[in-house]
Amino acid sequence: MAKKNPIKAVKDFWYGKPHTAEEGGRRLGELYEDKTGLLKHREWRGVKDTFYYMYNIWGYNYVHMVLDILKYSNNPIDFVKGTWRYRWMGQTYLPVIHWFERGLQGMRGEALEASAWHYRAMVSASIHQICNFFNADTRLHGGKQNEAYKHTIYANETTCGTLFYPWKDAGYQYLPMEMIPYFVTCHVNSHTVLNYIDAVQSIGLPGDPCPMCQAESGLFVLDDVPDSAPIIITCNEACDASVSTHTLQDWFANKPLFALPIPMQFDDPLVKKYCMNEIEEMWKFVEEQTGVPFSWESMKKYLERQNKLQRDEWEKWDVASKTDYYPINGVAQALFRIYSTQYGIQTSCWEEASEKVKKIMYKCVEKKINPFPQTRHRVIAWSCMDSLMFDMEIRTDSYENMLEDMATYHMWAPMRRMAVGGMHHIFELWDYMKRFNCDMVAMYDQLQCKGMQGVHGLFEDEFRKRNINAFWIPHALPDCRTVSRAEISRAEIRRQINDYMTTVMHEEPLDPSLLDFDDSMTW
Amino acid sequence: MKKLKKALLKFCLIFVLLNVGLFVIFFFDLDGKLLFNVVEPFLKKHYDNMERKDTLAEPYDLDKFPKYKYD
Repeated sequence: MAKKNPIKAVKDFWYGKPHTAEEGGRRLGELYEDKTGLLKHREWRGVKDTFYYMYNIWGYNYVHMVLDILKYSNNPIDFVKGTWRYRWMGQTYLPVIHWFERGLQGMRGEALEASAWHYRAMVSASIHQICNFFNADTRLHGGKQNEAYKHTIYANETTCGTLFYPWKDAGYQYLPMEMIPYFVTCHVNSHTVLNYIDAVQSIGLPGDPCPMCQAESGLFVLDDVPDSAPIIITCNEACDASVSTHTLQDWFANKPLFALPIPMQFDDPLVKKYCMNEIEEMWKFVEEQTGVPFSWESMKKYLERQNKLQRDEWEKWDVASKTDYYPINGVAQALFRIYSTQYGIQTSCWEEASEKVKKIMYKCVEKKINPFPQTRHRVIAWSCMDSLMFDMEIRTDSYENMLEDMATYHMWAPMRRMAVGGMHHIFELWDYMKRFNCDMVAMYDQLQCKGMQGVHGLFEDEFRKRNINAFWIPHALPDCRTVSRAEISRAEIRRQINDYMTTVMHEEPLDPSLLDFDDSMTW
Repeated sequence: MKKLKKALLKFCLIFVLLNVGLFVIFFFDLDGKLLFNVVEPFLKKHYDNMERKDTLAEPYDLDKFPKYKYD
C-alpha cells in the first residue's frame, strides 16, 4: 500500500486533486455508481470550489428554480398539476441539477463559475416556457380557454421565436411546441423521449427517419402536448422527415394551422423572395387569427435587443478563438447558443447571463487566467450539432431590410448549414475551423439523417486532402438504442473517441478512469 | 443578556446543523439518489398507467377550417 503523504493530503484538501494521470490525480470515473451514473459522492474540488459549487450553483439553482416557478406561474398549483399530467415534465425536469453535474464535471475556478451561468439561463428560460404552457393549458383549467391561452402562439421548435416579436408588446407569447416536451428533455433525462419514439412507431410509422421528428410526432400520438394555444405555425424543419411530423401535428392538434416552409434550396435570390413572401403570409395569418396588427415598434425593440445579444456572443467567440482565456466549456457554450437563438428574447435571462459571463471572461483576460490549462486540442463539433446557426444581425433601419434579413435568418434554421444545407454550407466547416483556431473535428454522424448520409465520403476525402484530424461519432440523436446493439450508446461513443486518441493520435488520457465505465442506465 | 446569548447560541447551532445537513445531501448526492430510486419510478408508474385519449380515433378533418387564401 502506498504511503500517505500528509503534505499532499493537505494540499489536495485545500486545492482539490490535480488534473493528471499520475498517481494521486483525480479519478472522476471512480465517483460513479455502476450503471446508474449516480455519484457515490461529489468531487472534492478543494475548499473554495466545493463550497462555491454547493452554495452558488447547487443550492442557488434549487432555490431559484422555485423562485422562477413563483415568478412565471399565474398559479403555482398549475405547475404541480402539470407535473402530474405530463410525463415529459415529471420524469424529466426533477433531476435537472444532475444535468448541471454532468456539464460541470471536474471544473474549477472561473470555468466552473462562468459555465454555470449559462446553465442557469437555460434552466430559467425552460421554466419560463413550462409555466407558459401550464398557465394556458385548457386541460389544467377544466377545459376553459383563459386569457393566457388566447395570447399564446404555438410554433414548431425550429421556427425561430424572432418571427413573433411583432405581437410581443401586445401580450402574445410565442411557445415552441416541442422544445420543452422533446428537445430539452433529451439533455436532462434521456429516458423520457424513448416513450414518444416508441409511440409513433406503434402506429405503423417506420423506425428509420430522424428520431427527432419521430419523438415530436410521438408527443401528439400519446396526447402529451398541452392544449395551450388557439393557433399553430408548423414548418418542415428543413428536413424530409419533418414534413410527416407536420401532417401528424395537423391531424392531432386540430387547430387553425399555417405551414411555414423552410426552403430546402436556398442562397438563391428567387427562393429568398419566396421565403420573404411566406413570412409575410404567416404574419398575415397571425394578424387574422389574433385580430392584432403587426407592430413594427415591437419588432424593432426586440430585434435590437437580440442584435445586442448577438454582438455579445461575437465578443465571447472572439476571446474563445484568439486566446486561452475563455471560461466556458464546450457543452455549456453550444447549448446556451442553441437555446437562446431558438427561443429568442422572450425573457431577459440570456442577456443577464451574458453580462455575468463577460465579466468573468474579462477578468480571465486581464489576469491571464487560463481556465483549461491542460487543453491539448481545439475541437470543432460539426453536423447535427448546430450551435453556430443564426450567425448574423437583423437590420432594423427599414421594414424591407428587416424582412430580407429575416428571410436569411429563417433559412439558416437549425441544422441547415451543418447538415442539410447543401455542399457550400456544410463545407463552411473549413472557415469555422480557421475562425475558431481549431485543429481537430468531431463529426456527429447522425445515422438516421438522410441529409448527412450522402456526404460522409466527401468529408473523408476532404479530411485526407487537407490533412485534418477528424473522428466520427455515430449516434441517432436521442435514441440510444439504435447505434449500439449493446444499448450502451454513450459507452460506444466514448470507445470511438478513446480509440482514435490512442491509436491515431498516440496520446495518453489525463484521467484513465474516464475511459471505460458503465453508465447505461443514467439520466 | 443571558437570554440573548442563549438565543444567539441556538441560532448558531441551528445554522451549523442546517449547513452540515445540506453538505451531507450535496456531497453524497442524496437528492439524486432519492429522485432516481424513489421519485422517478413512482412517477413512471403513474404515467404508464394513465388513461390517454385514443388520438387515432380522431378523424383527420381537413375541411374543418376554411382554406387559407394567399395574397
